[in-house]
Amino acid sequence: MTMDATNSTETILEVSDLQTHFFTPAGVVKSVDGVSLTLKRGEILGLVGESGSGKSITGFSILGLVDPPGRNVGGSILFRGEELLGASEERLRSLRGNRIAMIFQDPMMTLNPVLSIKTHMIETVLAHESVSRSEALARSIDALRMVGISQPEKRIESYPHEFSGGMRQRVAIAIALLHKPDLIIADEPTTALDVTIQSQILSEMQKLCRELGLGLIWISHDLGVVAGLADRIAVMYAGRIVEQGTVDEVLDTPRHPYTAGLIGSAPAANSRGSRLTQIRGAAPHPLNRPEGCAFRTRCDYATDICRQEPPETRGSNTQSWRCFHPLATSNLETLP
Amino acid sequence: MTDIFTEVRNVSKRFSAKPDFAEKLAIKLGAASTPPVVHALDGVDLQVRRGEVVGLVGESGCGKSTLGRIIAGMLPPTEGEVYVEGAERSQLRGQAARHARLNTQIIFQDPMSSLNPRKRVVDIVGEAPVAHGLIRRGEKQAYVENLLQTVGLDPSMADRYPHQFSGGQRQRIGIARALAVKPEFLICDESIAALDISIQAQVINLFMDLRRQLDLTYLFISHDLSVVNHIADRVVIMYLGRIVEEGSADQIFDGPNHPYTAALLSEVPRIDRRHRTFQTIKGEIPSPMNPPPGCHFHPRCPFAFDRCRAERPALRTLADGRRSACHLNDLDQRPNFSVTEQARENSL
Ligand SMILES: Nc1ncnc2c1ncn2[C@@H]1O[C@H](COP(=O)(O)OP(=O)(O)OP(=O)(O)O)[C@@H](O)[C@H]1O
Ligand SMILES: Nc1ncnc2c1ncn2[C@@H]1O[C@H](COP(=O)(O)OP(=O)(O)OP(=O)(O)O)[C@@H](O)[C@H]1O
Ligand code: SF4
Ligand code: SF4
Ligand SMILES: [Mg+2]
Ligand SMILES: [Mg+2]
Repeated sequence: MTMDATNSTETILEVSDLQTHFFTPAGVVKSVDGVSLTLKRGEILGLVGESGSGKSITGFSILGLVDPPGRNVGGSILFRGEELLGASEERLRSLRGNRIAMIFQDPMMTLNPVLSIKTHMIETVLAHESVSRSEALARSIDALRMVGISQPEKRIESYPHEFSGGMRQRVAIAIALLHKPDLIIADEPTTALDVTIQSQILSEMQKLCRELGLGLIWISHDLGVVAGLADRIAVMYAGRIVEQGTVDEVLDTPRHPYTAGLIGSAPAANSRGSRLTQIRGAAPHPLNRPEGCAFRTRCDYATDICRQEPPETRGSNTQSWRCFHPLATSNLETLP
Repeated sequence: MTDIFTEVRNVSKRFSAKPDFAEKLAIKLGAASTPPVVHALDGVDLQVRRGEVVGLVGESGCGKSTLGRIIAGMLPPTEGEVYVEGAERSQLRGQAARHARLNTQIIFQDPMSSLNPRKRVVDIVGEAPVAHGLIRRGEKQAYVENLLQTVGLDPSMADRYPHQFSGGQRQRIGIARALAVKPEFLICDESIAALDISIQAQVINLFMDLRRQLDLTYLFISHDLSVVNHIADRVVIMYLGRIVEEGSADQIFDGPNHPYTAALLSEVPRIDRRHRTFQTIKGEIPSPMNPPPGCHFHPRCPFAFDRCRAERPALRTLADGRRSACHLNDLDQRPNFSVTEQARENSL
């Protein structure tokens, strides 16, 4: 749309101190509790972290898709300078799917089981652009081909249940690509794909970032994929980003004990058939997180101060962490 | 004799897809005879021995979940037979059929669509064991809480509904539900892909402990080759409805025989492979509605020759005991692509 009027260092997304809480009968779940991140044009941020730490809810918050009892209780989300928190539903709807797209963790959140893939895709195109149905169809078929669906002219007639899990994921990706948005939030979109098709999709994503300056937040548990794809990594634990930096910094010299624990529990870091190293203890109940540093009940480095107050973000200008006792940069024994 | 837990013989599965308007018209006018058919499985033979972990890997849409469902008795094959502990599954009746059904449990790929959104976790997990008389109703709450703990969830979450959980938490509810009926055979369909690595490690350790304690047998469907490499004894590689290679984990990972296996291994994401330029697929991705003749992999295979386009390669046992379906094995001089891959790795 306004692609030409932008330069490559434009910050397209700036999230500051985002807080999204769920007000359940049992208490307040602080799913996102002070998340800050920025994304430039063409940049790929890998968002990794604990299951239940708030990665998806961070994505939903940016799109204004948090449902009650969830609610935004603070912070700011600037998309190309425009504040999205508190923006009208109408404005958000016109951005969603058009300038900002989300690829959901569960493709059935995008796909309605009673509608054919063709209906989904054509309606998506027509929702934001006035083109003919045949042009919308042609574009949809192209997008399907791009994500590696063979015979797209035929298979576009199918219904979601006639596709395998991975094919549904690819359809969801194709739908997100239809409008060539400025920002895509991709929530674990390739977990169900074989690595050759995964590479195909990652190469398309890379191309969109490089050529069109799309900003991409790639939520994933697969550190290998993030290592290969992303420019920067943010690691979440219990509603917060506990470490952030370039891919090389975070993976080679993790400073937060949780990051180091994650890297150390990957199968590749352990010998075949052995018990995998796991971070001791279990993730805290979201209603009952420890005072101070939320990781302290599982951390080997915890001291008294970790119990007293939550650690603030500190660090260099590229790598930052929330920890009172960051690991030394020479601490490499946890790496494969 | 090895103790075979389950075996599929020459199993095929075809789904008929909905014909589009033009096709319906063509069928009506007699211009086309049949609606399009998806060939999900095409003559699959597989044995799973008691106590073993078999890793099943393959392209998205190649029929892995379909094979899993057929083995579990949830879907009838179009052709071929499924044997469970020596008996043909479709012949079982009454008590024996019920036992077979409970004894094999699937942990599904898609937790959202397999959990009833209107039920609490305590009922989702606890209903089947009560219904089948494994526990009494009064024991349900404690039984479920115990299982939640086993899969690393807080027991106090038992009264919540599925939508109140994150993706990874829901996946563990699925695991708890499968374990609740004390099966001997677990089919894990992408069961850990949605979990963070430290919980993946926890669940893999859990699977390995259960295997030892309860002598469980696993069919482990996964795209994550490093996970399969870690836990599987034997690895089966599928492509477009057929098994293309099968061997011990060492054989497959140390020296793939089939070009598709080699392509998979060369694309494995690794934490030390940074800032990659990802490869697009060369050649055409074939469709299960219209599988190519001969070897299904030939439109993408860099080594394809004339015979590959005409003749289906049989899955044959090779000298080292593995099975592979590739015509290259009949050549005097086969291209040594495992060396090529190695060189590629090193140049990265
Ligand atoms: N509707 C809801 N009611 C109450 N709590 C909720 C609700 N939706 C999400 N939560 C909680 O918010 C937290 C964050 O959830 P989120 O889905 O963002 O996690 P995630 O980081 O994406 O995890 P995963 O990797 O497992 O997908 C979780 O603890 C979850 O239980
Ligand atoms: N109910 C159905 N009706 C029509 N086609 C189906 C049905 N179920 C599966 N298929 C087709 O059968 C083929 C195999 O599907 P299956 O789900 O077994 O694949 P898979 O190997 O598990 O893939 P993934 O890794 O993506 O989950 C696919 O082409 C799929 O579209
Ligand atoms: S702040 Fe303390 S408890 Fe938290 S991660 Fe750092 S050392 Fe561990
Ligand atoms: S049979 Fe031919 S096309 Fe098929 S994998 Fe072997 S060489 Fe390639
Ligand atoms: Mg999530
Ligand atoms: Mg599947």
